[in-house]
Amino acid sequence: MAKSSSRIKILRTVTFVVLAIITVRLFAIQIIEHDSWVAKANQQHTLLETITAKRGEIYMMDGGEPVPVVLNQTTYQVIIDPAVTDKDALKDVLESYAKDYVSADLDEVYAVEGLRYYIVARNVPYRTAQQIAEKVNDGELSSVWLKSSNQRVYPEGEMASTLLGFVNADGIGQYGVEGSLNKILSGKDGMIKTISDVNNVALSIGSDNIKIPAEDGKSVVLSVDRGLEKGIEEIAAAHIDNTAASNAAVLVMNPNTGEILAMTSLPNYDPANYGHVDSAADYINQVTEVPYEPASICKNFTFSAAINEGKMTAETTYFNQGFEIIDGWKIMNAEQRESIYGTITMKTALYWSLNTGSMHALMLLGDSNSEITQIGRERLYDYYHNKFRLGQATGIELIEAEGYIEDPNEGWGRNSTYANMTFGQNLGITMLQTAAAFSAVINGGYWRTPTIVKGTMQGNTIIPLEGIDREEDHILTEETSATMRDMLINNRNYKVRGGIDRLGYAIGGKSGTAQVIVNGAYDNTMSNLVGSYIGFVGPADELPQYVIMTKMWGAGAALSGGEAQDLFDSLSNYVINYLKIKPVL
Amino acid sequence: MFTTFGLMALGLIVIYAIGPMRANVLNSTYGTNYSPHYFFLGQLRSVAISLVAFFLAFKVIPYKYVRKFAKPLIIVAIGLSVLLWLLAAAGSSLAKCELGECRWFNLGIVSFQPAELLKLVLVIYLADFLARKREANEIGNLKEFWLPIGLVSALSLGLVVVAQGDLGTGVAMIAIIFGTLLVAGVPTKQYLIMLAIIAVGSVGAIATSSHRMERITAWLDTIQGAEVTDSTYHIENAMLAIGTGGFSGVGIGNSVQATGYLPESINDSVFAIMGETFGFVGLFLVVAVFGALLTRMLKVAERTQPSDQRIFVVGVFSWTLAQFAVNIMAMTGLIPVTGVTLPLLSYGGTSMIFLAYALGLVLQISCYTSREGIADEDISSRRRIGGPHHSSARRHS
Repeated sequence: MAKSSSRIKILRTVTFVVLAIITVRLFAIQIIEHDSWVAKANQQHTLLETITAKRGEIYMMDGGEPVPVVLNQTTYQVIIDPAVTDKDALKDVLESYAKDYVSADLDEVYAVEGLRYYIVARNVPYRTAQQIAEKVNDGELSSVWLKSSNQRVYPEGEMASTLLGFVNADGIGQYGVEGSLNKILSGKDGMIKTISDVNNVALSIGSDNIKIPAEDGKSVVLSVDRGLEKGIEEIAAAHIDNTAASNAAVLVMNPNTGEILAMTSLPNYDPANYGHVDSAADYINQVTEVPYEPASICKNFTFSAAINEGKMTAETTYFNQGFEIIDGWKIMNAEQRESIYGTITMKTALYWSLNTGSMHALMLLGDSNSEITQIGRERLYDYYHNKFRLGQATGIELIEAEGYIEDPNEGWGRNSTYANMTFGQNLGITMLQTAAAFSAVINGGYWRTPTIVKGTMQGNTIIPLEGIDREEDHILTEETSATMRDMLINNRNYKVRGGIDRLGYAIGGKSGTAQVIVNGAYDNTMSNLVGSYIGFVGPADELPQYVIMTKMWGAGAALSGGEAQDLFDSLSNYVINYLKIKPVL
Repeated sequence: MFTTFGLMALGLIVIYAIGPMRANVLNSTYGTNYSPHYFFLGQLRSVAISLVAFFLAFKVIPYKYVRKFAKPLIIVAIGLSVLLWLLAAAGSSLAKCELGECRWFNLGIVSFQPAELLKLVLVIYLADFLARKREANEIGNLKEFWLPIGLVSALSLGLVVVAQGDLGTGVAMIAIIFGTLLVAGVPTKQYLIMLAIIAVGSVGAIATSSHRMERITAWLDTIQGAEVTDSTYHIENAMLAIGTGGFSGVGIGNSVQATGYLPESINDSVFAIMGETFGFVGLFLVVAVFGALLTRMLKVAERTQPSDQRIFVVGVFSWTLAQFAVNIMAMTGLIPVTGVTLPLLSYGGTSMIFLAYALGLVLQISCYTSREGIADEDISSRRRIGGPHHSSARRHS
């Protein structure tokens, strides 16, 4: 029996050792490691659910009233738990009801191990969602959820798609107004933070539950006129069909306020099916996002600079020999008719769009009669870059490219570069920058920040956007501007005589035909050209009311300012009619 | 023996607190329709039956009478397990299977786990057998001792571990065999050889079962802080529950882990939920109560003279210690998860009822001890240890 007792002591020792190990272990887990386990637990238990803010809508103006062009519609996402949802039953239901909305490859989804949540269909309309819900209620499908979400609806179809942009599957605005004003439109998602059980059902346990309500996005009202936009797009599309062009861009703005009334970059795409495009380049708004060379349109800016500096007038004369040699380069006029050789006025040079004329204006700007000088380059740079703000973002409420203006002193061949710049080559500026600068040329000399947003809709009132810096800069004298207007109207006198421009209106304009750089050099075969035209419309003897700019191009196509001018002619008459501009006879 | 009741009561409280959550999780996950109090009422029923069994064992049926049926009982208990095996193999609905392991008889509204009966009967049988061999001085004899012991052990373990896939109960049985043989006075050398054989056998049993290997690797992964997978999920969440409890716990009804994160929250993992609910203080108390129960049983064994009774008490002690230690060590990541219930606390009828019955018998034996102990001849060893406790033992009875 003594042996038995000593063996019970062994058992007692074993018991105490076990108790000691367990106690120490518990102390380690519960006291020493407590914080790290709590952190892990919070990670596992906390349910963060987003309360999706309602996205704001987009309005255009129509007859002074805002009308919606981008609306919301509730659609549904189909969510499954691949670990529970029966694959074949799901496949059957999706194929028979929601075939067009399936967004996932079921075989791939089911191949992922441990996956418990997946969105298999998106943008499912209410009725289809109803049908799926019935199948779930009947017990044919399990662990399938329908989550409502907002989908954009476009009552005007493709109209202004490159201006408006679209909303991607994650609810984020892309390109256009949707992209640039995404913050305002999307609002601020709210959040629910609670402790949840294993099935993500919120529990009342815990004291730091949070509920932040969503702040719905604001609806944005554009200054764009819906009817004008529609009409302009139709006219531009017809011009694409009748020329070699594959693309056209048009901008209509009020030069006295900077307000944009129409902006289009054709072809449009279908924002409801934004994935169906050849490349992301189709989303680009050519008016604001692509710097290019507007060519002879820029002669307006060179002439304005020289006149404003008192270096020349419309009647100043120079000797036109059809070309100039600068830095060893022979720079030719496009127009070589004999009648304009010899001593001619600057007004005539602008009329015939002579490169020798704008180069001579640069010489005069540099206090010389025969050569381009440093002071001339610096003055031109000051006007182009600082006063007309070319090569700089304008500050409009859209996504913008900056472009560039070459430095007057840094770099090789400054004189030839600047000679080219006088007629709008060797620089990169956007259509919008060009139109804003041109507005200053003809509106009395005021550069104004262009704007396309009237404000946000709050109730029935439109509240201007906050934080938008709108500038007004008097860069040219009234006289310079008046002189320029006269010359630009003179440019189109033959249009009046030809019956294209109606009597009683002041319509002026300037074309531009740009050679395109192909493989690093200007294509001298002239088979690849971009045509632009800019002009203004208003009652005779009054300040112009509208500036219209057109651009036409196509890969491998030669489009001259002539084609762009034809488009302008159609548009100017359309604008006069649509906006009911009264003639002064 | 208030410890027994105390543990049962604690178990009731915990099940009361987390039962509704368990019902909710099952209802929402599997579409079942458990009422919020289903599990509490079930546990209440088990505790009531257990109390009846306890008093039956303690007051009504004398241990000496039970001992007489040792042989037929072990035959019946083994027979039931064989029957279950055959029924399961035949695909009968009388065999209830969960997760591919058939461990229960399905008797309509109640189910019955024969392995739990086998554990109790094994203790009764071993106590009788070893005592007889002691008297016959045949302990250590190959033919008269090792052969029958080996046969019964192998048969019981084989049925439970292999046929029913219940390693947890197997561990408890091995503990019972070790404990009883130790106090029966098996020569040290032979005892160590037996230890070695069982150790090799265990490794073999683990290595041949992918299910068991998975648990081992899962345990190693958890210790090394690997990413949570399906296998490591159980241990990770058990430790998470215990860890979040901290010093004083989150309080009754505030357990988050019980809402579905922790598997088997009311059965095998109840210790972890208690850790979350009552904190270190609570678990320390639970461990202390178990410690008191275990040392109390050893004390009873020491003071008990008839070797059959002494061996029986040690058998029950080994059973309790094994389940207690294996369960808690698994929950705290010290050993791999084996699927053992925590004695008297876990939800589950059969195991509680049989252990209560066994503890009832132990209490009965402790009462004899206090009366018969005075007449004992071997006073020297007893006085030293048991003397001052006579009165308290009486009070408890």
